[in-house]
Amino acid sequence: MQSTFTGLEIGKRSLIAHNKGLTTVGHNITNASTEGYSRQRVKMQPFDPLYAPHLNRENTPGQIGQGVTAVSVERIKDELLEGRIVSQNNLKGYWENRDKYILMTEQIYNEPGEYSVRSMMDKFWESWQDLSLNPSESATRQSVLQRGEALISGIHQRYKSLKEMRDMADSDISATVYQINSILSDISSLNEKIVKIKAMGDNPNDLLDRRDLLVNNLSSLINITVDNRDPDEFQVHTAGLHLIQGRAVNYLSTDIDPVNEGYSRVVWEKSGEQAFFKGGSLASLIDIRDRDLREEIQKLDLMTVNFIDNVNSLHRKGWGKNNTTGLDFFREYPFVTSAEGNYDRAGNGEFDSTYIFRVSGSNSLDPEALIGLRGEMTLPGPDGNINIEYFPTDTVADVIDRINNSQSEVNAVLDDVNRLTIRAVTAKNIDNPDFAIRHIEDSGEFLAGYSGILQASGAEGAFDWETAGAAASFRTGGESANAEYAVAPLSHPSGWIEINRAIKSDPMSIAAGFGENGRPANPGDGSAALAIASLRNKPLMIGKLNSFDEYFSKTVADIALKGEEAEVSLETQNLIMKDLEDMKQSISGVNIDEELAQMIKYQHGYAAAARFISEMNSMLDTIINRMGV
Amino acid sequence: MKRISTDMTNNDMNYYLRAREKKLNDIQNKIADQTRIRELRDDPIAASHSVRYKSHISRLKQFTDNIGVIQSRSRIAEGYLQEAIGIMNRINEIAVQGANGIYQQNDTVIMGDEVNQLLDELVNIANARSGEGTSVFAGDRTLSNAFRTFEGYVDGGGKEVITGVEYTGTVKRNNTEISEGSYIESNFPGNNIFWAEDQIIISSVNSDDFIVRKDSSILIDSAEIKLKEGDNIHAVIARINDSGVPVKASIDPVKNSLMLVTTEPHQIWLEDSGDGNILKELGVISSFSSRPPHNISSEARVSGGSVFDMVIKLRDTLYTGNTLDIGSGAMKGIQQSLNHMVSKTAKLGAADERLELVKNRLSYEIPEITAMDSRETDIDLAEAITELKMLEHTQTASLQTAARILKPTLLDFLR
Repeated sequence: MQSTFTGLEIGKRSLIAHNKGLTTVGHNITNASTEGYSRQRVKMQPFDPLYAPHLNRENTPGQIGQGVTAVSVERIKDELLEGRIVSQNNLKGYWENRDKYILMTEQIYNEPGEYSVRSMMDKFWESWQDLSLNPSESATRQSVLQRGEALISGIHQRYKSLKEMRDMADSDISATVYQINSILSDISSLNEKIVKIKAMGDNPNDLLDRRDLLVNNLSSLINITVDNRDPDEFQVHTAGLHLIQGRAVNYLSTDIDPVNEGYSRVVWEKSGEQAFFKGGSLASLIDIRDRDLREEIQKLDLMTVNFIDNVNSLHRKGWGKNNTTGLDFFREYPFVTSAEGNYDRAGNGEFDSTYIFRVSGSNSLDPEALIGLRGEMTLPGPDGNINIEYFPTDTVADVIDRINNSQSEVNAVLDDVNRLTIRAVTAKNIDNPDFAIRHIEDSGEFLAGYSGILQASGAEGAFDWETAGAAASFRTGGESANAEYAVAPLSHPSGWIEINRAIKSDPMSIAAGFGENGRPANPGDGSAALAIASLRNKPLMIGKLNSFDEYFSKTVADIALKGEEAEVSLETQNLIMKDLEDMKQSISGVNIDEELAQMIKYQHGYAAAARFISEMNSMLDTIINRMGV
Repeated sequence: MKRISTDMTNNDMNYYLRAREKKLNDIQNKIADQTRIRELRDDPIAASHSVRYKSHISRLKQFTDNIGVIQSRSRIAEGYLQEAIGIMNRINEIAVQGANGIYQQNDTVIMGDEVNQLLDELVNIANARSGEGTSVFAGDRTLSNAFRTFEGYVDGGGKEVITGVEYTGTVKRNNTEISEGSYIESNFPGNNIFWAEDQIIISSVNSDDFIVRKDSSILIDSAEIKLKEGDNIHAVIARINDSGVPVKASIDPVKNSLMLVTTEPHQIWLEDSGDGNILKELGVISSFSSRPPHNISSEARVSGGSVFDMVIKLRDTLYTGNTLDIGSGAMKGIQQSLNHMVSKTAKLGAADERLELVKNRLSYEIPEITAMDSRETDIDLAEAITELKMLEHTQTASLQTAARILKPTLLDFLR
């Protein structure tokens, strides 16, 4: 039989349930602007009615409802959407960071403007033009010197800024790894708590929200995927490896990479193996440091080293006003002290490689002449050597173009006396040194007897940097028939380029004329100055680019296009993320009006339940007090 | 969106306000800076074009400057040359007068004195200095005089007079860039300008068995001519004639030796390059190493002289009173000198005209390229201001709506 106090119980349950509802509404409202908070709802359900099918059930019509009960407090969240956000967020992190760094790089260029390296170089060439007009004056020499100094400080400045940015990216990488690790340890401890709470049958809504927020933050740092399938073991993966498996964490760490100028490398703490990431700000930092900024510095180095080499090779032939000759205008710092380019790369006390930057053949060639030879040249490429064929119907210029248009990491050009000159460029692969020719081989005679670079054709006559004394394979044939070579410069020429001290101390040493037939130049001879001034727009091959003009316009276009790409990608990604976040907000966000309406609902529910209890109370009062027992 | 959370309106407003503020800031800065490209990324292609244009403009400006300098220099040279021509005209008159048979020696001596004075002036002109203090007609030896004189006594002169004028400058041509990859000679060697006759050099060495023993080169008028191992005399002659120097080589039919003749009057400069000895073997220059023009072998026959030689010759014949010689030899020399100098003036004028043309082209090209650069990088102010105004309006509008939408909540109506 039904208890007399059933009504009170029902009322009490309702009070409790509505009270819970009100508390949750309060919780929602107070957390309306909490980041990552998902609104919660109390799930109400009718209490188990009477009677259950028992043998001792009362034989009355049923079932009789027993009021309401709050079964659970649930957060309202779309897990699928959350997965989408996690998978997109790393792109936002990537572009956000990249955009920032590329913008800083663009600003280093100072283009198009008056204070860029380009305009300083223009002024430098102009001063040589002036010198060619007034070769006997000392004022024009001073101006060459001053503008040279200005240009050099411009190059230094650019190099230093780029280098500082690389350093900054490097320390950002370490900081990001630290940040990732601290997020990982937070997630791990949350996992532990969540599992415990769930074991008690409760919903740890707020902890789940916090974990989601942490995962979200993590997903902007690296590309991750989340696996929720096992309720007891929340998993986060990156690049196919576990970052988090329940409580277990796979931490990241950094160590020093000797190949990459001592910058840090991201590794797994346990195995010490290098970790690779595809997205997130960590990947963008690594990309920026090891690809974009490295390339920027390489480009600047490439320009600088060619600039030094070309100006010096002309300046050495000229005569200063004080009858000095053979002076370099810019100081050259060779990478190795040995004149043959020998170097001990392994550091075991024996020469094991040869670092040669430039080699010129002994013969003057006619660019339009048919070579009449067939063969295959082997030159260094970004990954291993590449072969370039030539045929009897090619002209010298054709073969040169073919070398320059190939993937090879050397360029070819005819120098001022039409000798074939091969120069090394920067190396794409970080393991290879910049500005060192790694291999020259020719199965035929073009690079051997025809141009006079190599002594012999075929594999036996090949030049290869990985042997000491390889310079011996260059042609030597007596006094005039020698191939000429220069050893590789010290790395980062843009960092050390400076004007020769002898010239700084006596600007009269600046050469204006070539002289004649081995005699010093006369005061009115401006031929050398003119030749140097003409370098500006001459086809000299700066890497694979034709001239300084092309170099400057290409580098500007390159970085600007990168900037544009970063900006557009970031905006796109921001929009995508905004849409996703909006969707998430639409589902999980708190709407105060809605909550207030809920509040009123629960208030009224509460009031009604209270009223019901008081009604019950008066009923009981009737039974107990008025029946007059 | 089915459901709007309280944060959403706020977020949305933030998002759009931020985006618009960025645009506003961008356009304000662009207007202030007067450029369309504040960051390179604003227009990568335009930026890279602009970089090229700017370098190009600076180069063209340099060319304009170069042309200015050269024009003034060649005008100075032309002025001196005109003056010299005036003097030569006067000398010519005297020669014509002197060739007249009616004058006695004491008359012609007076004429000779006048010619002598004019010669002094002529030498002065040839040694002219420009405003920068450099010698105008000395080739690239600009700090010293172009000509050196020798003085002595001559028959009938009675006092020390100039007996010889020797060129001490060089033949090296200085070039100056006047437009992309195009050069113009910017100095005027005196042994070319003040020359009267074609110079002929005939070696006395039979060259039948001559052969070039190793690759080497010779310098004629400071132009390098490359010779190959095994070239015989005919090959050498062919190479000289093909080289473009104003000298024609041939074989003297009498001695079977090398003969060099100028194609326009000037002094030939001959030299073996480095330690080569081709011209020495051919007997054209002496085996003692001295510099041109004083290195012609004493065995070789040389003829053809300078303007000064002609004037000196006239003066000397006037001093001696040999009217027959005045009419035949001396006057011819003066005429030739005049002709040559006039043609040199014409050449200078022609060069000046070329410079003028290039300058005009540059003065047209510079604004043109500046305009191209400006089209790429400069802001279209009307467009920019319109855009700014539009942005301002939308900004105000959205701020106003935001103020209206964000304010009321259910709270305002609950009592």
